[in-house]
Amino acid sequence: MDIDLSSDDLAFQQEVREFLATNAYKHGADYAQWRLNWFKLAREKGGWDVTKWPEAFGGPGWSPTQHYIWEQETAIAQTPWDLPFGLSMLAPVLMSHGNEEQQNRFLPDIRDRKVNWCQGYSEPNAGSDLANLKTKAVLSEDGSHYTVTGTKIWTTLAHIADWIFCLTRTSDSGKKQEGITFLLIPMKQAGIEVKPIITLGGSHTVNMVHLTDVKVPVENRVGEEGKGWGYAKGLLAHERTGLAGISKSLAALENLRKQANEVKRGNGTLLDDPSYRAKLAELEIDLLATEFTELRSLASAANGAEPGPESSILKLKGTEIQQRIQKLTVEAGGIYSAAWGAMPVGHMFARGGMSGYLSSRAYTIYGGASEVQRDVIAKNVLGIKRSQTK
Amino acid sequence: MNFDISSEQQILKDSVDRFVQDHYELDKRQLLVLTEQGFSNENWQTMAELGWLGVSIPEAHGGFGGNQIDTMILMEAFGKGLVLEPFFASTVLGAKAIADGGNEELKTQMLPGVVDGSRQLTFAYAEPQSRFDLEDIVTRAQEDGDGYIINGHKSMVLHAASAHQIVVSTRTSGGQADQAGISLFLVDADADGVEITSFPTVDGQQAAEIKLEGVKVSNSKLLGELGGGYNLLNAVATDGILALAAEAVGAMEILYKDTVAYTQEREQFDHSLSDFQVLQHRMVDMFMEYEQCKSLLYRATLEVVQNAGGAQRSVHALKYYIGKMGTFIGENAVQLHGGMGVTEELRIGHYFKRLLVIDAQFGNSDHHLALFAA
Repeated sequence: MDIDLSSDDLAFQQEVREFLATNAYKHGADYAQWRLNWFKLAREKGGWDVTKWPEAFGGPGWSPTQHYIWEQETAIAQTPWDLPFGLSMLAPVLMSHGNEEQQNRFLPDIRDRKVNWCQGYSEPNAGSDLANLKTKAVLSEDGSHYTVTGTKIWTTLAHIADWIFCLTRTSDSGKKQEGITFLLIPMKQAGIEVKPIITLGGSHTVNMVHLTDVKVPVENRVGEEGKGWGYAKGLLAHERTGLAGISKSLAALENLRKQANEVKRGNGTLLDDPSYRAKLAELEIDLLATEFTELRSLASAANGAEPGPESSILKLKGTEIQQRIQKLTVEAGGIYSAAWGAMPVGHMFARGGMSGYLSSRAYTIYGGASEVQRDVIAKNVLGIKRSQTK
Repeated sequence: MNFDISSEQQILKDSVDRFVQDHYELDKRQLLVLTEQGFSNENWQTMAELGWLGVSIPEAHGGFGGNQIDTMILMEAFGKGLVLEPFFASTVLGAKAIADGGNEELKTQMLPGVVDGSRQLTFAYAEPQSRFDLEDIVTRAQEDGDGYIINGHKSMVLHAASAHQIVVSTRTSGGQADQAGISLFLVDADADGVEITSFPTVDGQQAAEIKLEGVKVSNSKLLGELGGGYNLLNAVATDGILALAAEAVGAMEILYKDTVAYTQEREQFDHSLSDFQVLQHRMVDMFMEYEQCKSLLYRATLEVVQNAGGAQRSVHALKYYIGKMGTFIGENAVQLHGGMGVTEELRIGHYFKRLLVIDAQFGNSDHHLALFAA
């Protein structure tokens, strides 16, 4: 057992630091141009623009430790904004289940950040029970296209998306999980209507998407008809063993500690308040534990082992920690935390803190609510099987 | 970065797991608890023969020359069996103080006996007024010719009645709560003026109050620096915390797994208890906190072994978390076993008691949270 980075890993860490420092955004530069150029330079490093893609598709082929180093370093450096929908959610499905023509057609634009995707999974009556989805896709008699009708909900950034990857129902017979088909649908067409949903934080991020008699060519079906659930489920498992945002949370906590030290309280600062201080300490200890849980999980992945039981808890712990950081930011804002939006009152760092906190309540709901995660751990890790009802 | 144990450590783990399985069924353990000594001489000899009693003692003195990772492997297994033999008091605490702080002659005189099991040590650091502060010491050692005379009262000394020598923290200068002015001495348990009053602890082990009245020790029995003993005291406490945490992790594993098994067997309302989601989620939380404790155990242990910068804070984090979650897992294991959970008949109550005692040793959860936050 040891926690040292190898000399190769240390050299890699140095290389990453240099790359991030050299290509940091410079004040006054054109952001959009800097962003695209950053991805181009990252690509020239050998797949640093698609760090999680397999080598066969242009990824860097990093070890788990290298991924961890990348995550640590990018948590504290400024990197361009990026969206996970095409890059991390659809791309792996296309790589494993799409045909070559689909891979050639969609992957390059995803990689170049040219096309924005959104995810059409949840429906008004299919939330945690996702397999209950009802959006209908009917194959034409000549087998050339599907006609899709139904409603998707909580669709993040559907209002700026060019395409949606959708789970649709092509059959009602058999188990709910059977008869689900994975379709790729352009957003900008008649029959698709996007309605904004404003969330508690006051922002427009998610939407309701109505599809009415939308024609989808059969070439846009990924894999076989009726097998879509398996493709989507594989993706969800992949997501859960991913990183839990620990490095970002460690950086955010460090920041919060500095800022709390600037909030005056009596003759001292908020950091002198024993109860606030204890909450920061408890949060940091949870982070130290979760960081090592993640490292244990990465180390077993590096040995080629299946993710151990410890990896199942990362999403749960990681999102709860992110919420607690938001809550402590609100607390640091004091009386000004009541000001709506980012009004120029109170401490700069705490402005909009309440919005951030309210938005963070969704972290333990999306991507599998915490209660569903616990159901999954009970079944798959603790091995609890439902007994026969008498 | 690597979390696998070496092949040598795997052999150690296999042999200690087998020992616990063969010798530590609850019924056998509870018979040992009832004996005056509170543990088995036969087991003690087995531990010596297998080399465990010298696991962390330097090879030059007959030991195995291992580090805190080797101790962790033993203690985690002992936690799964609620092992009673005084390995913790003698090897982890007493021998550490001598190996790190004793002069060569003293080490040669004391350590081989610890390794072969003929000599048993213990460590007296707490006092009635000190609560959890290592540096709060009023037991005084006063210079007297070529030695010292010790007067004072030490609390909750583990297995003192069967120990041959006791490491005692004393004050040779400074005020009651100063880190400076602390000196550690090795005192013979049968020396004139040493009065040992033994009693059982909640978890079936043995401890004692020790009164020291005019106890003479020679200069050669000084461990560490005169007046500068705090660092040695803290180093021993650090190893103690790591070892207790490993034992706690072993005990937590039994508690959560026994609970999962029991709720699947027990039927009420025509269902296995494990069908009820509220119980499933509780057990998932017990499992998650067990894994988090294990992560902090690895973190603190590896940082101490590698002398990393954040090691001291990680040790505080570990002891805080073990205490808090030991109580959480123990209380819920009892709760989910229902009425059977509060009987002596099932083993879970005994593991719960051990976790409660571990929380109270070397600073409880609140104490270490305060130190971490400081």
